[in-house]
Amino acid sequence: MIGRIGDVPLSGDPASRFLPWTVGLLVFLATLAFAAGMFLSTAGETWRQNLSGTLTIQIPASDVADRAARLEAATELLRATPGIVAVRQIPDAEIATLLEPWLGQQVLQLELPMPDLIDADVGPDADLDLEALSTRLSRVAPGTVVDDHAVWLRRLTNFAAIAETVSFAVMVVILMSAVTTVIFTTRTGLAIHRDVVEVLHLIGAQDSYVARQFQSHTFGLAAVGAAAGFALGATIVWVVQTYGAGLSGGLLPELVLSPAQWALLAGLPVAAVLLVVFTVGITVKRVLGKMM
Amino acid sequence: MTNGVGDIVRFENVGMRYRLGAEVLHDVSFALKAGSFHFLTGPSGAGKSSLMRLMYLAHRPSRGSISMFGRDVSTVPRAELAALRRRIGVVFQDFRLIDHLSALDNVALPLRVAGAKEGQIRGHVAELLRWVGLDGQIDAKPTTLSGGEQQRVAIARAVIARPQVLLADEPTGNVDDEIAIRLMYLLEELNKIGTTVVVATHNESLIERFPHPCFHVEGGLLSGPGIDPPGIGAAAVPEAPA
Repeated sequence: MIGRIGDVPLSGDPASRFLPWTVGLLVFLATLAFAAGMFLSTAGETWRQNLSGTLTIQIPASDVADRAARLEAATELLRATPGIVAVRQIPDAEIATLLEPWLGQQVLQLELPMPDLIDADVGPDADLDLEALSTRLSRVAPGTVVDDHAVWLRRLTNFAAIAETVSFAVMVVILMSAVTTVIFTTRTGLAIHRDVVEVLHLIGAQDSYVARQFQSHTFGLAAVGAAAGFALGATIVWVVQTYGAGLSGGLLPELVLSPAQWALLAGLPVAAVLLVVFTVGITVKRVLGKMM
Repeated sequence: MTNGVGDIVRFENVGMRYRLGAEVLHDVSFALKAGSFHFLTGPSGAGKSSLMRLMYLAHRPSRGSISMFGRDVSTVPRAELAALRRRIGVVFQDFRLIDHLSALDNVALPLRVAGAKEGQIRGHVAELLRWVGLDGQIDAKPTTLSGGEQQRVAIARAVIARPQVLLADEPTGNVDDEIAIRLMYLLEELNKIGTTVVVATHNESLIERFPHPCFHVEGGLLSGPGIDPPGIGAAAVPEAPA
């Protein structure tokens, strides 16, 4: 039973006029929140990929004569360790660059005792015993510290995960606001058109017939609002992605959504409209359910 | 009466109240055979419209039982009540036409809610509107029609789906005598083709002119041919003549 749409004169309702604006605004905000969540998800994954699987070995400063031998010995030991796929001694100039923010550009001229640093990449399936490695390194270069970034990485990824969760929660709250608004609008429509709805009910219309009248009307309004809200939100996301590329570097990952993420984002207005239409149907049926 | 076989409407000790208010109908018991024609009379506020509301399934009784088409309404699942309502045509006291729809669309509503194909609807509706003398007003909105014309649209809407029961609540209340008589002839025509008709009215001249059995409601009590007066034991459910 499809029925003709328009038996209930909903198009002139004041509440209906605001529905596209309300849905549009909420979809706009939800788009931004969803995109932020996905940016953070990507950032967390990038941090995990960049920092996990690497070790930084720090050999404390020592006599110049002894220094090279200890560095070489530690490097050789690392290269010979199963599971380590790449070893790189970090040059003094690079270490100086890392220290520049604190000590200025004349770090090397200060002749400060600087530690030696070695970066080591660990194979993806390697089962490395860091404690044993640290003990062995201490034998060839006493005082050596092995840092697998675990603490830092945990904090960073935890932060990203929390922020991501908050973003998605905000998106859900926004969509729930849309649901609440739609329930209010639908109930208002039912109250305004109670006489017509009652006539339809009494001549034998199923609840679903009446519900479809409201759903079809709301679908059109919500679709317009959702499309506009998404277009605006997606434009802002695209601008952030395009012009935010220059901000990335160091620990700040690129703000880029993959094609799959864009597809997910594009699904948001569709999901919002379906949610609105579903909510309208449920609301109408609940109200009509109170009639005999 | 009676086992109720052949009863299309059957009330047994029915009471009715609106929300928590006082009871407006008390111990109403009667039965209507298929194809019968009855008047329902009584002063304003006596309970005629409430009784009609019970018959067109707009309201549940607060006690007693109502059977329509042989089914106890209280046990019919809500989803199936719509199908029962489609077997009942109603001419409301105030017509209750939908103002933004044309006469044709108003009359077509029962067919549409029943899922009739759009291609078949226009022909049927136009034919019926011609039958009630509104062939020139098919696309007119109710607000542009006179009281009599609105009434005929309401009647056309009530009968378009060929209901088994036609309930008319004060259908002549807003029209002059000539139109009222024409309406009655129309209802008698429908009755001749098997429709059970109940007309609630307080138009005495109509009742005198059209000799059909007459129920009377006063103070929430139903009386009429075959109904025991209040206070005489359990009311036997009267069987009205067809």
